[in-house]
Amino acid sequence: MNKNSNTYIIVYSVVMVVVVALLLSVTALSLQSRQNANKLNEKKNAILASLSASDKNYDEYITAYAVNADGEKVEADVFAQMEDLKGSFEEGIFPVFEAQDGRVVVPVTGSGLWGPIWGYVALDSDMNTIVGAIFDHSGETPGLGAEIATAKHQAQYVGKQIFEGDEFVSVKLRKGGASQANFAHEVDAISGGTKTSDGVSNMLADSFRNYLPFFAGRRAAAAQDAAAEVEVSNEVNNESNE
Amino acid sequence: MSKNEKEPIFSAKNLKYLTSPFSANNPVIVQILGICSALAVTVQLKPAIVMALSVAVVCGFANLVMSLLRNGVPSRIRIIVQLVVIATLVILVDQVLKAFVYDVSKQLSVYVGLIITNCIVMGRVEAFALGSKPWPSFLDGIGNGLGYGLILVIVAFFRELFGAGTLLGFRIIPESIYASEGGFYSNCGIMLFPPMALIIVGCIIWAHRSWHKDLQEK
Repeated sequence: MNKNSNTYIIVYSVVMVVVVALLLSVTALSLQSRQNANKLNEKKNAILASLSASDKNYDEYITAYAVNADGEKVEADVFAQMEDLKGSFEEGIFPVFEAQDGRVVVPVTGSGLWGPIWGYVALDSDMNTIVGAIFDHSGETPGLGAEIATAKHQAQYVGKQIFEGDEFVSVKLRKGGASQANFAHEVDAISGGTKTSDGVSNMLADSFRNYLPFFAGRRAAAAQDAAAEVEVSNEVNNESNE
Repeated sequence: MSKNEKEPIFSAKNLKYLTSPFSANNPVIVQILGICSALAVTVQLKPAIVMALSVAVVCGFANLVMSLLRNGVPSRIRIIVQLVVIATLVILVDQVLKAFVYDVSKQLSVYVGLIITNCIVMGRVEAFALGSKPWPSFLDGIGNGLGYGLILVIVAFFRELFGAGTLLGFRIIPESIYASEGGFYSNCGIMLFPPMALIIVGCIIWAHRSWHKDLQEK
């Protein structure tokens, strides 16, 4: 048989393509459910990690829901929305993960130098102080931009505040190191990773901005609770005075 | 099995397929292949090691499969067939890793494209596997992958040590001697950039050829 005849080549390529396509699609389909479970698990672990609560059981500890642009709860399948977070933000559906102790985790998403970057930022129940941040990326340069995914970089965010008084200021990555004057709202940028650092600054500001009404609502409620407590304690005092 | 009785699977000749790419026939510093990915993944030691192992595995199995197919492949479309085999292998492995060892697959995800297009893999398939029996082809693939990995690890060692003061993420150069802590030392920033990988590869080639006089071009 002539192996260089056109017929042979065409038959050979057709058979090869069909076999390869079959092999790949069977593998992809049969492994899909396991892969999705892994991805979901990774998200849940990242959420717990941002709260420094990796030892807790996600399903018991976290309530997931979504809010709209006015900060009101809306019906939504949170993890389906998380599949395309950027699209979800544009739609006006903002996922929130609330821990039992009142701390909340908000997902953030943006662009680095080479591709998307994303993460989870956990805020204390005052909706102002960051208690933990987890970032990840798809293709930032190892040793430079990819440093945002390291524990060393992420640890810097703990204790930073996203509000100055009542004004939203977000947290910025500053080239040359966080300045003393603005220490509560700045962290050190990554040397050699300026574009990625800018990407993280933008990601934080843009993503938090979506949640401002929600944060404001929670802050107002917290302030009211505090005021109510003061009143209650005043009443108790009055009674005891009588 | 009868073939194995004639020639032991780790005969001197077969072992040579495995070991010659480490030095005398190294794909990076002698054949000058795979330079582009050597620049991309050598900023730190860990990705370099992951990449080295992946390329060794892919190169070995691509050689094996192509060697098994070698009598049926029409020579006019052999390059496309090679590419399909290599790409299929890499994607299959990545899918399986994604399902069973998700962490490893995340490490690898960035490099999948770099593995498929690595010229060493195709170079060995074309130059060796298409004309050799499966077992020597497999050894040749593993050997070339490891020979490539060896250079990657050496380059990454210098780049991470002098560029960041760490190795595999652990601090080697003590914080206390850094200028910011009152010392005299600071990291060599240029180490983190791709040109430095080329310069280090150049230095390795220089040292290697001074040692192996027969490789020097007249």
